[in-house]
Amino acid sequence: MVLDIISAFKDAIVFSSLLTLLTIGMTLTYLTTKVPNFAHGSIATVGIYFALITTKLLGLNIYLGLLPSFFAGGVVAILQYIVILRPLSKRNASITTMMVATIAFDFLLLSGLNILADYLSKSFLIISRYFLLKGFDFFLMGERGVLLISPILVIAITIALYLLLTRTKFGVAMRATIENPPLAGTVGINADLVYIVSWFVAGGLAGLAGCLLPLWFIGNPDTGTFILISIFAAAVTGGLYNIYGAIIGGYTVGFAEIFLIRYLASLSDPFGAWIIPYRPVIPLLAMVITLMLAPRGITGIDVKRLRSMFRRNRNA
Amino acid sequence: MLSGESLFMLDLVATFAPYMIITLSLNLEYGFGGVPNFGKTLAVAGGAFMVGYLPGRILAGIMGVGQGMDYVAQNAQIITEINNRLVFNVPLSLGILLITLVAVILFGAFLGLLVTVPVVRLRADYLAMTFLAAGEVILVIGNNYPPLVGGTLGIGVPDPFGWASTFSVLGLSPGEMRNVTVTLFMAITAIIIFLYAQKLTHSPLGRVLRAIRDDENSALALGKDVTSNRLKVIIFASAIAAIGGALYAFYTANVISTAYSRVSWTFWPWVMVMLGGAANNLGVVCGTFIFVAVRKLIIFYKDIFGPFIPFDVVWLDMLLLGAALVFILLYKPEGLLPEKPIKTIKIEGPPPPKREAPEETSSSQAPSKKKVGLKLPFKFKVRKK
Repeated sequence: MVLDIISAFKDAIVFSSLLTLLTIGMTLTYLTTKVPNFAHGSIATVGIYFALITTKLLGLNIYLGLLPSFFAGGVVAILQYIVILRPLSKRNASITTMMVATIAFDFLLLSGLNILADYLSKSFLIISRYFLLKGFDFFLMGERGVLLISPILVIAITIALYLLLTRTKFGVAMRATIENPPLAGTVGINADLVYIVSWFVAGGLAGLAGCLLPLWFIGNPDTGTFILISIFAAAVTGGLYNIYGAIIGGYTVGFAEIFLIRYLASLSDPFGAWIIPYRPVIPLLAMVITLMLAPRGITGIDVKRLRSMFRRNRNA
Repeated sequence: MLSGESLFMLDLVATFAPYMIITLSLNLEYGFGGVPNFGKTLAVAGGAFMVGYLPGRILAGIMGVGQGMDYVAQNAQIITEINNRLVFNVPLSLGILLITLVAVILFGAFLGLLVTVPVVRLRADYLAMTFLAAGEVILVIGNNYPPLVGGTLGIGVPDPFGWASTFSVLGLSPGEMRNVTVTLFMAITAIIIFLYAQKLTHSPLGRVLRAIRDDENSALALGKDVTSNRLKVIIFASAIAAIGGALYAFYTANVISTAYSRVSWTFWPWVMVMLGGAANNLGVVCGTFIFVAVRKLIIFYKDIFGPFIPFDVVWLDMLLLGAALVFILLYKPEGLLPEKPIKTIKIEGPPPPKREAPEETSSSQAPSKKKVGLKLPFKFKVRKK
């Protein structure tokens, strides 16, 4: 097998862009609620099924499904926050208990999605497992639309987030709540509203990513749980304490995953095509390496300290 | 022959015992150590994969079976041949069982160590993420590396309990004799592990673990090594969980990696522990029993209400369990049997010297020498200058 750089690059662009959308959401909820959301992948799967319903059931353009998926993902995430996490955090539950709660929610979502998939296939005779919606994309200069739409979406959302966080009153309130919730509360910021909005945005971005995903990759009820590892790896690599770290982490891990696996698969013995199923090892390694070298991620690296360390070494 | 009810009970115990071992290990980690192991399936699958990999190859080597044959491709043939010879060789059966279990324990401990070492110093959430990823990765390896456990087709395991079917007690048929023996063995192992867990959690290590779980910094201030204690409990727990996976593999007599999914071996144990009550070994055993019994009943009656719903019953099962876990977390976070203060064991040795104070003060002749302060079961030695 020869390494096809262009096709690998296309794969990597789409995958990394979707991964970045998911990672931004994960980091946002982590910053506010201080708990990694183990159900984040499955919220994306909600978007995948919205894409399926929009195209196969309603016969509409898949890009019309973007907005409903955004809202659906957001509503699911708000539900998760209000019904499960808020009561727990009010009771000062430990972070471990909160994580177990997100896992429980993940299983609720997963079973719900599986029921939906069964229902779709039995009642409407739609292929609702291991499906691809490549045919529903538009073409632009011979390339599929998602190749262009997904990075554009990331750029637009990055700019929107930047403007929200720096130029609006609500964004400043959000940052204040992230930094110090009780203090933000004393100056009259409604911390609960901030949390609800950030969960909505996070879930919405996951829904967007999910809606675009079946245009390039295979969709299944458990797709989200497989991506979850990559999301964690990307969030950790970029730095869980920095929202822009999510973008760096998403593209780093996404490109590393696709290119490394494609490269190793293109080699002859002892590597080769057999290595492709082992893709989940790469995000795990990325995560472990980051945690060993720079636990706060790429954005958490203290550049000044690093430079002074180098200088000291040179002098010594 | 066994009646339907006895068969149901036997099946119940056979499922309950491995799960009890696994939940006890999770309780050690999460209940006492506060370690959120979301990759329990790592150790469980590790143990089972070891059973799929090791004993068959050793026996094939010893017996000279299947020379020139591919162990994985012609597995069924080789395992049948091994089992035919193993039935009449009790010492070898028990020997291979023991060797495999030792290897399983070591392998489980190694897996726990491997995953934990890079992240043990970090916060609990990093640990949880790494465990989750590692749990998925071992399944990927099991699924795609045929020499280990036959990939997607699975692999047969030699039966070290085959000898039990050669004689008959209480009018049981040979197949039943074998199942009863395996189940008894698993139940006994589970009880031993329960006693061990009780002993461990009531030991000083158990108390240190609770201290670390409740407040890492104050434990650190008291001179307790947080990192090494956490590492210790993860290694112990992984080794124990691996035994659970191995016993289950011996019971089902084959290993297939898809059987060790995240749902069955990470999520269910979590529900069991939360249901029974974290940091209470007896509670966890109760939780496990209730869970396994309810699920067996669901499977038992599945066919009755199956036709009435437009989807697979499996998902309803999962939905109910997820909802149950949320419900427990929200309304009964301490579980059925809440955590209790640890009863400390009396330290044996010469009894502490008796105080002579009470008689003197009560006689009211020398009230000036009344002692003030805490009554302690031991004496401080004060060095006088």
